[in-house]
Amino acid sequence: MTTTDWPYLDVHQSRTHEPTPYEFKLAATLEEVFTKDGHELADVVRGLNARQVHAPDGGPWTEESFRAEIHRLGA
Amino acid sequence: MTTTPTADHIYATGLRNQWHPVVPSHFVAPGAMRKVTVLGEQWLLFRRSDSTLSMLADRCPHRGAPLSLGKHLGDRVACWYHGVEVETDGTVSSVPGLPGCNLEGKKLVRSLPVREVAGAVLAYFGDEQHPEPAELTLPEPLTDPGIDAILCYAEWEGGWRYAVENLLDPMHGSFLHHESHTMFDGDTTAKFRIRETDRGYFFEKTDQRGVNFDWVELCRTGVDWVDLSIPYPASAGPGGPFGIVGMVCPVDENRTGVFFWRYRDVQGWERDSWRFLYKTLIEKRHWEVLEQDRVMLEAMPADADQHENLYQHDLGVVRLRRLYRAEAEAQAQGQAVSRNL
Repeated sequence: MTTTDWPYLDVHQSRTHEPTPYEFKLAATLEEVFTKDGHELADVVRGLNARQVHAPDGGPWTEESFRAEIHRLGA
Repeated sequence: MTTTPTADHIYATGLRNQWHPVVPSHFVAPGAMRKVTVLGEQWLLFRRSDSTLSMLADRCPHRGAPLSLGKHLGDRVACWYHGVEVETDGTVSSVPGLPGCNLEGKKLVRSLPVREVAGAVLAYFGDEQHPEPAELTLPEPLTDPGIDAILCYAEWEGGWRYAVENLLDPMHGSFLHHESHTMFDGDTTAKFRIRETDRGYFFEKTDQRGVNFDWVELCRTGVDWVDLSIPYPASAGPGGPFGIVGMVCPVDENRTGVFFWRYRDVQGWERDSWRFLYKTLIEKRHWEVLEQDRVMLEAMPADADQHENLYQHDLGVVRLRRLYRAEAEAQAQGQAVSRNL
């Protein structure tokens, strides 16, 4: 396969998949927390829990669970 | 095979005797090949199944047919026209129509040195006097393990030089990109200066830093690239501003491939958060900024630089043109060019 389509103009070059509704919601809430609450890990955990955006297991976030989940999502 | 091109041709299609980015690595899958145009010339990227990459002139040594129309035979390519087989170093391994013919065993196809860096293919394009690759020092943000870099590649209509000039012109950020997620802030007037380095020069505001697109560094380290930094809004989370390492591929006189690695000095959960936000939300905003550049640059007339009235903010661009023009002249005369600016 050597044919090429010019021009290559692809908005999303870093994604492996279309984000899920959960991922969109978490990302939007994370941006809000970073904007309004702060940039520390404690701010993130507190901010997500205060906004009722739950961890994958449905419970509240801890620093440990956030680290693990964001590592999976940001790989 | 080639005659020395004129200075005008080199200036229009890209400088020789240095490395250039070609395409993103993923454009050539293992076991595949891809036709590419660089410096106005036709080339073939060829990847073996073990991922080893080669770059050959896209021209069969027999009758000049494009090898890119041929067959990938694992470790060599067979021309579709008469079946002549060429190895990845450019050696003819077989002429099936006349076994034992004197083409066999001869290195008749040009093969370029290639390197893969941070998701992009780089190749060295030497002229006949400079076949040995220039020493390549890679941009630190692409090699520092503490820095996370994400490549964005795009193909634009228009010559390569306008794409580089755009990067050496930070002030366009306050106007062209005023409606954007990162460049809405700061003064719309400024004083600039050029500051020399041993690998190029900085073009920077003297009265504002860390607010908008306030400085850029041109670096010539075997490959030409720029480094710059732009603040992120608070929504991007911890890690401070993001940087851009920018390179361009002179495709031909009227087309350019642009490579922008957005990078950030982040580790641990901060890095993961940035990558997650980037993939989910921020990448699209960066893209919208890049599209503003593309729309403007593609609309520029080809002779835009023939009828200008420049002012102080254009010093970075003027400097760049002088540098590239002098190098094009020297290359046309077949002279080695000193790296001194």
